[in-house]
Amino acid sequence: MMAQFVLFIKGPMVWIAFGVFFGGLVVQAWRFISVTRKKDPDYLPGAPKKKKNKKKKTKKTLGKAVAKPKRKGIMERLQPLIRFADKSYDNLENSMFFTHPVVAVVSVIFHVFLFVTPIFLLAHNELFRKAFGFSLPGLSDRTTDMLTIIFLMCGAFFLFRRIFTKRVRAITTLYDYLVLLVTLTPFITGFLAFRQWGDYQTVMIVHIVSGELMLIFIPFSKLGHMIYFFLYRLLIGSEYSFGQGKRAW
Amino acid sequence: MIVGERKPLEEIAKMMQAYRKVLNIGCGGCTSMCLAGGQKEVSQLNRDLENHFQDQGGDIRIHELTIERQCNAEFFADLDEIIANYDAVLSMACGAGVQFVADRYPHKPVFPSLNTTFVGIDRDVGWYEENCRTCGDCVLGDTAGICPVTRCAKSLFNGPCGGTRADGTCEVDPDTPCAWYEIHKRLKGQDRLDLIMKVRPAREWVNQTRRSVIQEPYKERYTK
Amino acid sequence: MSTPVNRDQIKRMLKARKSRMKRYLSHCMHCGVCAESCFLYMKNDKDPQYLPSYKVLNSLGKLYKKGGRVDRAFLLKIKPIVWKNCVLCRRCYCPVGVDVPAMIAFARSICRSQGVYPEETQSWL
Repeated sequence: MMAQFVLFIKGPMVWIAFGVFFGGLVVQAWRFISVTRKKDPDYLPGAPKKKKNKKKKTKKTLGKAVAKPKRKGIMERLQPLIRFADKSYDNLENSMFFTHPVVAVVSVIFHVFLFVTPIFLLAHNELFRKAFGFSLPGLSDRTTDMLTIIFLMCGAFFLFRRIFTKRVRAITTLYDYLVLLVTLTPFITGFLAFRQWGDYQTVMIVHIVSGELMLIFIPFSKLGHMIYFFLYRLLIGSEYSFGQGKRAW
Repeated sequence: MIVGERKPLEEIAKMMQAYRKVLNIGCGGCTSMCLAGGQKEVSQLNRDLENHFQDQGGDIRIHELTIERQCNAEFFADLDEIIANYDAVLSMACGAGVQFVADRYPHKPVFPSLNTTFVGIDRDVGWYEENCRTCGDCVLGDTAGICPVTRCAKSLFNGPCGGTRADGTCEVDPDTPCAWYEIHKRLKGQDRLDLIMKVRPAREWVNQTRRSVIQEPYKERYTK
Repeated sequence: MSTPVNRDQIKRMLKARKSRMKRYLSHCMHCGVCAESCFLYMKNDKDPQYLPSYKVLNSLGKLYKKGGRVDRAFLLKIKPIVWKNCVLCRRCYCPVGVDVPAMIAFARSICRSQGVYPEETQSWL
């Protein structure tokens, strides 16, 4: 019975989980597109158009009929880049990197490692190669172990923040702890399994099941912000939007 | 805050009498704050109009809806849904709101039920005073925070006209204090009287054409 | 003020905006990062009551949770949340991209539909 269950979660369940995960993401994206529409440009009335750039006259210098176009200096060439950096900085200044530097940095690390760690884990890639005949470049065990530890520390930060920060506690529900648990369990068990701490068989089963559950949960729960983070930015017409918020419900 | 006043009932009734199904839209912004065009005033106007048309024997159905702001498309969702059901729209917003509604639904006749009176302040509940003509070239720094454009009957820029009454009121309206007398008084109190000697050249009356403001960080987005 | 509310109307309104509002509610990560973007929160000694997400969850969030089965007392309870604690300045920042002001405005619409709104100037302040 147990052996059958293990076989199931190691075999078909993996495919089901990934199927639900990718299928769910596609469905969510499709649903989002279908419930929103392109914003009517008339809704932004009266924005004046910038005057057309007058073509710069090439300066005539004495003795030459046609002046060579002046070679751009290094600073001039860098202007667009500087402007971009300037603007990015301005945008950043209004973002949570300035209002909540710690939360912002921890969030970024948390989310990046959440993807990097399992995708580039050597052992996962070995399974991947068995299934598909090729694999992604793997990180060394030591590296992923470090990533896992940092990731778990970030997770602990979120947990403590939930418990001890007044404003976060005011809006925390059981669901939030559940979501955190679902996200952290595969990493905790993976961490334990790598060290062969505890009963390996049990740890592995919990690892696999929780991983699969997380994949299934993602499109249909709060974890859906994985895709909606990007989708919502098609709606927002402000500094941090994509495509200048050209869609509307 | 933008202050408005309800138009006479007969005027409103006359504008809309040709239509059978009319939606009266209130605004939850300024006109709601100055108790002229909020939800309460919308209900009141609708009751008055219904009574009026009952007496006249007209067959008009007037419904109401109050949206949070009529000067921002973000708040039009409720209106978008039901606008098709109506022949005409009555708006209890300021002139800006009325125009925004009219721009958004170009196929619907839109009527104002308020007169937009001025940009002003709350002296007390139900008591508002005009303080700004939005001339677009503020001189308040030189005039001790008293606007000569708004508060002088002749909008004089460089001192009083000479018609100030002995008690410091305006020759045009004895209830209005002379703006320049007030400016002089306050500047003197602040020991800044030298400012009154400053000559301000004739200003450019830019509000002759429609003005728009695009803030610096948004320049790139809205201009091409 | 004891007239019963029209629950069917509330339910109809909730249903009409469900696809958008429910998505927003379900994707609010309850992270509290919106706090500093709210000037009322900053002004009121960082009282969690003024947290944008708190205001949303305790007005529109509860309306959806109760499926519109609410009474007038409930609407009167959320009235100060959506009018007094929020001025709809639309400056709230959400890292996920949830449109907080749209939700507050919608909660206001629902209150308005049942005749619950600030009638005098004082009740805003």
